[in-house]
Amino acid sequence: MFKKLLVANRGTIAIRIIRACRELGIPTLAVFSTADKDALHVRMADEAVCIGPAAAEASYLNIPSIISAALTYGADAVHPGYGFLSENGDFAEACRKSGLNFVGPQARHIRLMGDKPRARRIMVRAGVPVLPGSDGNGVTELRDAQADAGRLGYPVLIKAAAGGGGKGMRLAHDAKELARFFPLARGESEAAFGSRTMYLEKYLEHARHVEFQILADDQRNAIHLGERDCSIQRRHQKVLEEAPCPVMTARLREKMGRAAVRAAEVVGYSNVGTVEFLLAGNGEFYFIEMNTRIQVEHGVTEMVTGIDLVKESLEIAMGGTLRFKQKQIKISGAAIECRVYAEDPDTHLPSPGVVSNHHPPAGLGVRVETALYDGYRVPVHYDPLIAKLIVHAENRPAAIMRAKAGLREYLIDGIKTNIPLHLRILDDPDFARGEFATDFLTRFEAAPRAGEVVHAAGR
Amino acid sequence: MEIRELKALLGLMREYDLAELEIEDKKGKVRLVRRQHDEAGADAVAAPGAGASKRTAARPPAASGSANGHAAGTSQTELIPSRSVKTPELGPNQKYIESPMVGTFYRAASPDGAPFVEEGDTVIKGQPLCIIEAMKMMNEIEADAAGRIVKIICDNGQPIEYGQPLMIIEVV
Repeated sequence: MFKKLLVANRGTIAIRIIRACRELGIPTLAVFSTADKDALHVRMADEAVCIGPAAAEASYLNIPSIISAALTYGADAVHPGYGFLSENGDFAEACRKSGLNFVGPQARHIRLMGDKPRARRIMVRAGVPVLPGSDGNGVTELRDAQADAGRLGYPVLIKAAAGGGGKGMRLAHDAKELARFFPLARGESEAAFGSRTMYLEKYLEHARHVEFQILADDQRNAIHLGERDCSIQRRHQKVLEEAPCPVMTARLREKMGRAAVRAAEVVGYSNVGTVEFLLAGNGEFYFIEMNTRIQVEHGVTEMVTGIDLVKESLEIAMGGTLRFKQKQIKISGAAIECRVYAEDPDTHLPSPGVVSNHHPPAGLGVRVETALYDGYRVPVHYDPLIAKLIVHAENRPAAIMRAKAGLREYLIDGIKTNIPLHLRILDDPDFARGEFATDFLTRFEAAPRAGEVVHAAGR
Repeated sequence: MEIRELKALLGLMREYDLAELEIEDKKGKVRLVRRQHDEAGADAVAAPGAGASKRTAARPPAASGSANGHAAGTSQTELIPSRSVKTPELGPNQKYIESPMVGTFYRAASPDGAPFVEEGDTVIKGQPLCIIEAMKMMNEIEADAAGRIVKIICDNGQPIEYGQPLMIIEVV
């Protein structure tokens, strides 16, 4: 049992981790920047330490400060959450070198999967299908990118080798666009990840983003907990996710699940992780990348499997072995997660401010993960994801109804949110039929709106 | 000025916590004054930069029970403990020496060494006042102004967070 766990994060995931620790009897130590001194995770944890000023680089990304906080305040474990330092191999290594338990995989897994071209090469060797793309270590010069594009054929997706989360990613439909976008994407990659190395992938039109949840222990036992469909994205940022994938069949799940587990096994992965695929209309699927952390949308998998992923990852980090065999994992019902962002629903500009009249929905199969409370000032410095509404019902149509009911019940004054957008998505006939791909939201928002529907409570 | 515009201005005042707002244009002048409500909790001392509502995370390993269990505020529940810390108030011309990092506070350079300063000492700008030890590295904290050390707030060996007041200096 951990003596004390330091939550190296903030917001909804910090709350989530503290909850799981509470259930396991692990005392918690929250860290916060000066901008977060009134944050909910700070008030919820058993103890809290200020680690720096508001800027993320000086606080939540400040490795020495966080490790010093752990050592000074007697923590023996660190949970990185998602975002921030969760996929920073140096952080994982620094924790372990300081004698702290890191809740997650080994540093080498993080670094390996963080190098996208290398991850692709490993998958090819493991027999996991990958999209046609750049060979070797990637490209830094436009002429090499042009050579790759010539070989692959347009359209191509320009991606950052050290990237993830949709940053440094551009779509090029022809040579002119490649010449225009390649330097831009490379610049973004350098700013975000400190690397100019890019790679190309053949762009798959109308593909679904389908990812598999992996759970593995330190003894190389790995299973999958089914898939999530995360195709509803804007500029590669997920907005709404669901489990199971509406077009999944038992046979395809078995095939893709086996590939996902093989991806984890081939690198000796441990703890939680997610293998992302693109699923084409003809049932072909291709590995895109593996995320070596707990994900924002892990909740939908928890709802359909009944398994607490954060608790399982803590147990594994404390030396436990996998408690489930693959055949014990059952997918039941349907779950939908709506990511609630503090933003203007039309312009998508962030909407910071003081929250008032905060009333989240409740009821059977309705789960809200949020760090909001009445009087809380949403800071400007961080990600505008302020809440996750996760619903679960016996089938997909019932889950859609439950999500709509929950959104309409969700009251938040003082800031604008994208709740109206979620209601429109859930009302969309294509969405209801499960007919959508990763271009859904782009086409959805480009289409003229029939008329405004007045909603009583949800704004 | 129309009611709609006034309401927008009032919203702005609330959002940015303004006490007074005066607007003058071709149509005329309007001045809005908002009465401030007392926000500080019973024990909290509102001192600039000190983050008075901060709860100290310093807990000696031997201590049993948490400060949370004895939360002072009646409106607090066990789940969301109150955080109140008694940081000494500042007098005239006084300011806090705050920690720039997380670590352990030491009064001297070594366990048997003499403390850098005592209460009442006069110091010059740049003079080392104490050590914050972080990950086995000793970081000297220097006075950022000349003055007199009025109060040494923290104890030797105390865990320290970013921005925590260490001493009070009276600036000359």
